[in-house]
Amino acid sequence: MPASADVVIVGSGAVGSALAARLSVAGRRVLILEAGPARANRDLVSSALWSRRLKWGGAPVLDVGPTPIGHAFNAGYATGGGALHHYAVWPRMHAEDFVMQTRYGRGLDWPVTYDDLRPYYDVVQSEVGISGDAALEVWRPPGVAYPLPAAPLFAQGEVIQRGFSKLGRKTSPIPLAITTRAFRGRPACLWDGWCDAGCPIGALANPLTVHLPQALTAGAKLINRATVVRVASSADGSRVTGVEYVDADNVRRSVDAGLVILAAFAIENPRLLLASKSRAHGNGLANASGLVGRYLMAHLAALLYGLFNAETMPHMGATGGQLLNQDHYPKLTHAKEQAFGSYQWLIAQAVKPVDLLGIGNTRPELYGEALHAFMRRAAQHFGTMVAIVEDLPVAQNRVELAAEHDRHGVPLAQVKHAADPSTKALWQAAIADGKAIFSAAGAREAWIGPQACVHIMGGTIMGRDPRHSVTNSYGQTHDIANLFAAGPGLFPTSSGVNPTFTAHALARRTADYIEKRFSELTS
Amino acid sequence: MATTRRTFLAGSAATGALGLSLSNAGALAAPADARVSAVAYGVLSATQAATLDAFGDVLLPGARASGLASFVDRQLVLPKEEQALMIRYLGLPPPYTDFYARGLAALDDFAGSRHASAFAALPAALADDIVAAIAKGSPLPWNGPPAALFYFVVRNDALDVVYGTEAGFAKLGIPYMAHIAPPTRWPE
Repeated sequence: MPASADVVIVGSGAVGSALAARLSVAGRRVLILEAGPARANRDLVSSALWSRRLKWGGAPVLDVGPTPIGHAFNAGYATGGGALHHYAVWPRMHAEDFVMQTRYGRGLDWPVTYDDLRPYYDVVQSEVGISGDAALEVWRPPGVAYPLPAAPLFAQGEVIQRGFSKLGRKTSPIPLAITTRAFRGRPACLWDGWCDAGCPIGALANPLTVHLPQALTAGAKLINRATVVRVASSADGSRVTGVEYVDADNVRRSVDAGLVILAAFAIENPRLLLASKSRAHGNGLANASGLVGRYLMAHLAALLYGLFNAETMPHMGATGGQLLNQDHYPKLTHAKEQAFGSYQWLIAQAVKPVDLLGIGNTRPELYGEALHAFMRRAAQHFGTMVAIVEDLPVAQNRVELAAEHDRHGVPLAQVKHAADPSTKALWQAAIADGKAIFSAAGAREAWIGPQACVHIMGGTIMGRDPRHSVTNSYGQTHDIANLFAAGPGLFPTSSGVNPTFTAHALARRTADYIEKRFSELTS
Repeated sequence: MATTRRTFLAGSAATGALGLSLSNAGALAAPADARVSAVAYGVLSATQAATLDAFGDVLLPGARASGLASFVDRQLVLPKEEQALMIRYLGLPPPYTDFYARGLAALDDFAGSRHASAFAALPAALADDIVAAIAKGSPLPWNGPPAALFYFVVRNDALDVVYGTEAGFAKLGIPYMAHIAPPTRWPE
């Protein structure tokens, strides 16, 4: 067990692995502490049942608000974190997402603009490999075209696409961090629809495929079953000195670090900061603003389901979908319905018979022989799409420490999340839009799913003003120069697109910042 | 070419890593076999297992024969992080054994109050009556986890054993197309 490292990274998920790769390639001694067990690509069994082992298995998160965020479904617990089972839908945020307060007087401004992030989007996509069609994706902000050709269209996508066309709406191939041809030693995707179970062949850009091998080859160390319980800080509170963790043998250990990066996702990052309070940081580390844990967000998913006369082959494609539509992305599109914000349609997800998002759960009221009959029909004729609905940042939506503790004595995270009325109105508008599209597509039956949360963001938001944010634009905490947070927890607003690409772009920018100032940051 | 790669992965990486070959994986006792041969349950009592099988078989006929109670029981024996139960998504604090025990007790109490019988002993029509009341939302008396949640969880368990396996896909005419084939139908 290393007793010290230049950089300790808490969490081996998407951004933890990406940061580890950059910093270790630059010559830093990087130690990654992962609470979950070791997993390799060979463990990614193609089964909805087996793949549940990839989901959160750590300390329970108490989800007590009226709009539960669903942490256990969204998060991961193993090498690679939640990105091991992510769907790899990687659109860019739009320029207006970064300036909502300035432009609309709603939400918060980011401390970076799209133009600041654009080169990082470009370099990340060139390394990770994103498939898409930049020309057909007419809503896409400026940037280098995708390095890989678009994903193929299957029957389900063709059927739903006709609905959009009849209404004069556009669709484009969905941008996916999935290979459509051999790319950097990785094979092309087979489009078998098993993304949700984890992609073992290396077509989908999970951390096991892209960044962790780079990091480990460059000398980074990874310890599994290392649950960080505290970030240690100096007596005067000006520096962090390392972390304390509990290992696989339940032994409490310490490791010194020149710099600590929390990359444990949007709930565990603020939980750890709050639980690491000290005499100098009585409200928790890096919490002079009182905002650690606040502005927690999660997209509302507007789920449309339908049965079509045509055979749709709904098991084929990618779990994230086949097509994209961002016609209603402008924030004021549904202002008449008291809605505000952006949404996009992800169209024609590959679905399997079971699991939370499987065919059987789309009609939860059916049972008995009626359920069998539905399953047989839907297996051949099902179609679906989902709107990713922007969740406005609300200070009262937050992570707090609960009265209950985990087995290591750390207070559990308690989450209160209530979607803003404008967000709920936007969800309703998206549902109405989706029903019209499915009707135009010729669905002989169409119905909707429950209001569910996906993509957890916020809790350690970035900003320019230390009074109103936890970190600067690099994820560096305002209060402690050698303590960083990373991942979607930094987002001050949620946008209407999937967060992983933006989280990677930010992480890449953070790595450059750390590397240029490493001596200064760690002295 | 695609088939070649898939076949290679199924034949080497997955099975090798788990110390199984496809032939000896098939020789393991399946949950349905365990029921027939009366292998002891690890967590559930025989009565609880019978009630769970009976309830699941109304929710999705065939669930009992597909090994519903054995599936749930074996998952509950595993550490939480290894469990393959839908309930782990739902934000409920573990252990989940208590959830099933209280739900099954509530089901039996409800059946007893309405038809003076344990649920598993009810004739089909009366069992349907009980499940219909639960599916509609508010059975009374009900002293357990929320009835709608219990219905949702067991219905998913039933779907898992009937349609979540390679055999289940085949019943629906869906090609399974595994990159790495499950060494057993679910974690054992």
